[in-house]
Amino acid sequence: MLGAATKRSEPQGKKGGGEMAESRPATATTTEPAAVSGRRAKTIETRGVDLFYGDFQAVEAVTMTIEPNKVTALIGSSGCGKTTFLRSLNRMHELTPGARVQGEVTLDGEDVYGSRVDPVAVRRLIGMVFQQPNPFPTMSIYDNVAAGLNLNAKKASKTQRDGVVERSLRGAHLWEEVKDRLDKPGGSLSGGQQQRLCIARAIAVEPEVLLMDEPCSALDPVATLAVEDLIGELKSRYTIVIVTHNMQQAARASDVTAFFNLDATGKPGHLVEMGPTEEMFTNPNQKETEDYVSGRFG
Amino acid sequence: MPEVARAEYLEELASLEASALGGLDLVNIALGRTLEAVERQDVELAQLVVADDDRIDGRYLEVHQALITLLATQSPVATDLRLISSLLHVLKNIERMGDQCVNICKVIPISGNEPPADEEMVRLILTMGRQAKTLITQAKRAFEERDVEMAQDLVRQDDVVDDLNRDCFRLALQLGDDADKREWAMTMLLAARALERTADNAVDIGEQVAFVVTGLFREFEDASHPS
Repeated sequence: MLGAATKRSEPQGKKGGGEMAESRPATATTTEPAAVSGRRAKTIETRGVDLFYGDFQAVEAVTMTIEPNKVTALIGSSGCGKTTFLRSLNRMHELTPGARVQGEVTLDGEDVYGSRVDPVAVRRLIGMVFQQPNPFPTMSIYDNVAAGLNLNAKKASKTQRDGVVERSLRGAHLWEEVKDRLDKPGGSLSGGQQQRLCIARAIAVEPEVLLMDEPCSALDPVATLAVEDLIGELKSRYTIVIVTHNMQQAARASDVTAFFNLDATGKPGHLVEMGPTEEMFTNPNQKETEDYVSGRFG
Repeated sequence: MPEVARAEYLEELASLEASALGGLDLVNIALGRTLEAVERQDVELAQLVVADDDRIDGRYLEVHQALITLLATQSPVATDLRLISSLLHVLKNIERMGDQCVNICKVIPISGNEPPADEEMVRLILTMGRQAKTLITQAKRAFEERDVEMAQDLVRQDDVVDDLNRDCFRLALQLGDDADKREWAMTMLLAARALERTADNAVDIGEQVAFVVTGLFREFEDASHPS
């Protein structure tokens, strides 16, 4: 069961995160880089997902399977609903007043929107990295990474926390750059480093899925390539979904590409086509996709 | 938002396609002169063809460079990418066809101004050459019109060239013991071989038509695994 709300009242311990959390230790004490050992991450499936902001329907009838251990890129012009869709996968969409969801989202077959499911547990299993790097600026680098951990596993010892922080920073390719200044504020890092710090924070809680909303749009090309390399390594442990406006980034960094479009302004966005990235960029099935990836409109 | 985004890039791509395919017209001119030089044993005309091959090579270099620039600056994908990739292949074939004309023209002086020519052999060579010209014209049209059926028909047209090539070989064996005549026949076999390869180049261009249209590359005929 997906972090059922009823289980939250149980004493903290190995059952605290629900069945999914039991498949691995609540805290890790090793310093093994996250990307070294591959594991099967989880599959997200959506069926007929409609997304609304009040009366306005932003996304219509999206049915797709997001495969584990792959990078799936969501592309499409502005306003086509791809970010809204991304946010619906870990129940962040519903945080917007008036927003609602119809249809079904499952994580390895378990309903993310089930009535007994705790949205906080969902967001721990399905982490999010945002467009603008958003570390807690005055909090130390160490505490930034440990932040999610403190919220999710309060009983972690200092030693355990040290292990997770190092493992997460290594996993985010940041450890060597910051290991001697872990007590410095997160805001003192460069933009690219801050984004990798946010990725470290996201993976510290050992999620199954990482959602990334234009994670490189605020970064320079060098930092962008570093984050793309990192994404390529993280997929050996996680299911990754990335929203990007950068077509070349989708082509470079993803295994599967989903193209969203909308028929006209004010109409809901929908999934036009989804397939292996190589095919989507060399020989897409739909003319709409061809026009978009070729830069013919949008 | 403009009706068609990236209009300038699309114009540039269309213009480069026209330039590349225009190379096939240059080849047809060179091939026509080559056949005339063979027919009349015209050594001077043959030398002109050799010298004029620089124009075909120049077209190759010019369009090739411009396509590389488009790749570097415009990040083409999907059909545009397939088209550019195909044009790079087409250019290579054009350059090779130009070289085959040069190869033929270079052997003409070997046999001298008044060779012991055999009329039937000359007729076979000229028929082959005209058939190769037909293939080149058809390959160009198939590419321009993105007509896969027309492109596939090049295989049938190429079979005619292959049959004529075999006829040339058989005839060369029958031309008797006269040393001069045998030497001349050998040079004509080289010419026949060059024409046969030229027709194959046209079929290769046809295969690129299918790739641009369908996104799948396959040889129309596999020489190493004939059906």
